[in-house]
Amino acid sequence: MTAPNQLSAAAAIAALGRGEISAETLTRACLDRAAERRAVKAWAWLDPNQALAQARAADRAGGAGLLAGLPIGIKDIIDTADMPTAHGSPIYRGNRPFADAACVALLRMAGGTIIGKTVTTEFANRFPGATVNPHNEAHTPGGSSSGSAAAVADFQVPAALGTQTGGSVIRPAAFCGAVGYKPSFGEFARSGIKLQCHNLDTLGIICRSLDDLPPLRAVLTGAAGPPRSIDRAATAPRIGLCRTPAWETAEPATQALVEGTAARLSAAGAKVRDVAFAAGFADILEHHRRIFYFEAARNYAYEYEQHREQVSQVLRDTALTPGRDLPLAAYTAALETAEAFRRHLDDLFVEFDVLLTPSAAGEAPEGLGSTGDPSFNSIWTLGWVPCVTLPAGIGPQGLPLGIQLVGRRFADEALFDAAAWVAPRLA
Amino acid sequence: MPNAEPHRLSATALARRIAAGELTAEAVVASCLDRIKEREGVVRAWAHLDPAQALEQARACDRSERGGLLKGVPFGIKDIFDTADMPSGYGSPIYTGCRPNSDAGAAALPRAAGAILVGKTVTTEFANRHPGPTSNPHNPEFSPGGSSSGSAAAVADFMVPLALGTQTGGSVIRPAAFCGVVGFKPSFGLFPPSGMHVNTESLDTVGAMARSVEDIALFRAVLMAIPYEAPRMPERPPVLALCRTMHWQRAQKEGRAVLEAAAARLRAAGAAIVDSELPPECADISEIQRRHSAYEAPRNHAPELHRHAELLSDDLLAHGRIAAGRELSLDDFRAAWRQAEAAREAATRWAGEFDAILTLPAPGQAPKGLGSTGDAVFNSLWTMLHMPCLTLPAGAGPAGLPVGIQLVGRRHADARLLEVGLWVERQLGARR
Repeated sequence: MTAPNQLSAAAAIAALGRGEISAETLTRACLDRAAERRAVKAWAWLDPNQALAQARAADRAGGAGLLAGLPIGIKDIIDTADMPTAHGSPIYRGNRPFADAACVALLRMAGGTIIGKTVTTEFANRFPGATVNPHNEAHTPGGSSSGSAAAVADFQVPAALGTQTGGSVIRPAAFCGAVGYKPSFGEFARSGIKLQCHNLDTLGIICRSLDDLPPLRAVLTGAAGPPRSIDRAATAPRIGLCRTPAWETAEPATQALVEGTAARLSAAGAKVRDVAFAAGFADILEHHRRIFYFEAARNYAYEYEQHREQVSQVLRDTALTPGRDLPLAAYTAALETAEAFRRHLDDLFVEFDVLLTPSAAGEAPEGLGSTGDPSFNSIWTLGWVPCVTLPAGIGPQGLPLGIQLVGRRFADEALFDAAAWVAPRLA
Repeated sequence: MPNAEPHRLSATALARRIAAGELTAEAVVASCLDRIKEREGVVRAWAHLDPAQALEQARACDRSERGGLLKGVPFGIKDIFDTADMPSGYGSPIYTGCRPNSDAGAAALPRAAGAILVGKTVTTEFANRHPGPTSNPHNPEFSPGGSSSGSAAAVADFMVPLALGTQTGGSVIRPAAFCGVVGFKPSFGLFPPSGMHVNTESLDTVGAMARSVEDIALFRAVLMAIPYEAPRMPERPPVLALCRTMHWQRAQKEGRAVLEAAAARLRAAGAAIVDSELPPECADISEIQRRHSAYEAPRNHAPELHRHAELLSDDLLAHGRIAAGRELSLDDFRAAWRQAEAAREAATRWAGEFDAILTLPAPGQAPKGLGSTGDAVFNSLWTMLHMPCLTLPAGAGPAGLPVGIQLVGRRHADARLLEVGLWVERQLGARR
């Protein structure tokens, strides 16, 4: 029998619903795994007694809610009323928010139990936390949702929340061999999440199975009604192989994986064609960078002005200071280019159901000093389109590889259907 | 006003005099506090005000070598923003005793420019409809408007020269017009929204209030952390679209009269006034705004619904946005989002034909009684269109209360809108 902590979120929800396991048993199995695997350093805050008390309360509540009794990890950039929220920064050590973030409250209202806070890079930017890749501790887990990806991949929790401004959900999920999902911009509530960039920040989910996504997604959209299950009877999707302007930065193994996957899916019956952005969007990453820096430099004004010595040098030098110096006209032009890019993507999706593209440039890089390059994600974050990364084998260094599927904006359910067609046909 | 009391001076004048050593920050803040002490019993603009704390900040500013565009200039901030050294109540008893751990971006940037945060101004409950205690400084029997009630009243009543508000429907422009001050809502997202309690993500816009367009321009540069250039008077009179909007039937007599009179006066001063209405893509823009705002309400208020639903007002819960939001599906929200984008594109093309759009900031003068902060019908469309808006005082209603006009610019052409505003302010001001 599968150990409780190895159950996917969907399987755990089903087992809890049938009374086969209790929330307490499940949470205890997760906590035991986390204790055994402390070396992963996935948690910024984990109080076993608090987690177990919540689980017992869920058991007493008798299984009410879509997520009744499911343990969930929360990236430590997201406010929790009963756990500290440190944003990965010494400035906020011991910070106790007055209220839960909207997403946390929605999870709790659906019966989910908040097991703890996962490590984030400093302010969901690039200065890394302590987390290691659970597959090889000499390698980064990716970031900024480092702890969420590592904890889920390491069976310490079935699902966790992350946020993505550049590539902070999809990339760490891929590096750790998990499933990652960034929804269409605007689908999930951000209130109570430390705001970095109002035009980019997107709340996402890291889990181990595609079937975990519909219930978690239904809760986080705040929409009433049951989740829409994945349609596994859907016909083969029309797939666009999109190498993106960042293609040359991808490692050979990744290029081979994406092209090989395209060939395999084509052979399996999908209509696969190459697709490229219009020439005007060759520098789309530069527009992402401008919006990122301009907004972060202002949204983090308090930290930059009042606690500058406690802000990492890398954040100051690579984002906040250049963001202050960026001319306003360059920022507003980038906003307008981003809108044109979104219209361009809408046009591309007339002919495709889904785009196939790398989740990251390669395997997780060695060392913990950098969480890797977000280029293959920033494009889609700027495009506000939904993204899923699926585990797709092992690279030359023995670490997980992922492939990314990108859907039409506000067609997240169709993206899940396409991903469910693709997943069993991967190598 | 060389001998005016400091609290009567503009932010621009205060900054200049403090920089020249003619005034201290302490003297300025003390003058504002005196004014507040004299008037707060009636106006009730402040949710948090600690005179000793404000004076201590001012003295520290005087001691500091550090300069800044707003060095020593007092400002107020709506109690919907987080502040590290003052409570943040968001207009709700749920947040009694809430002490955030940081300043909102819109609080931190003025402070970094040397401005003195005097206190927190009254907001309606979560910047929604349920009113706070603030009254209109021109007549306490009338509403100051909302949701940025305290900010508008405090600036109008010479308690502070500058204040910050937020607008999701009409919460900066309307109270500014009702209180007779200059209100500015920039293009969506141009002032940093971090640390602002979220009402509706796709609409919430940080805005500014002052008593002159020049002060708005100065405050704007600080709030965007961009270099300041004083706005230049346009060399030629502007081309203005007179836009009565699809809601003209809901305007009151005095609102229409002041707008028509302003148009006539500006035409006489040389402006080209062209009757023009929003393009057809914008026909449903007010309903689209309502759907955005309603859909987000139940989920954004999940923390309060989860733990403290009994402390939410009926104006928000039973008869308000939360109830309305529960009637909407995710697909309704997605459709509204797409429609808003199409409307914005069309509105941007349309607005590009003019230097600015001349329209109403509110149906008319402030409503009587403090139970309602008035109707946002002439604001919510522009908020959803993400276009910059500026209201200027332009006349008076039957009860002697202020009535304003509103200028709206093309999205991201905020600096141009302020220049047109400077010209319009001069023409309208000449009458007073």
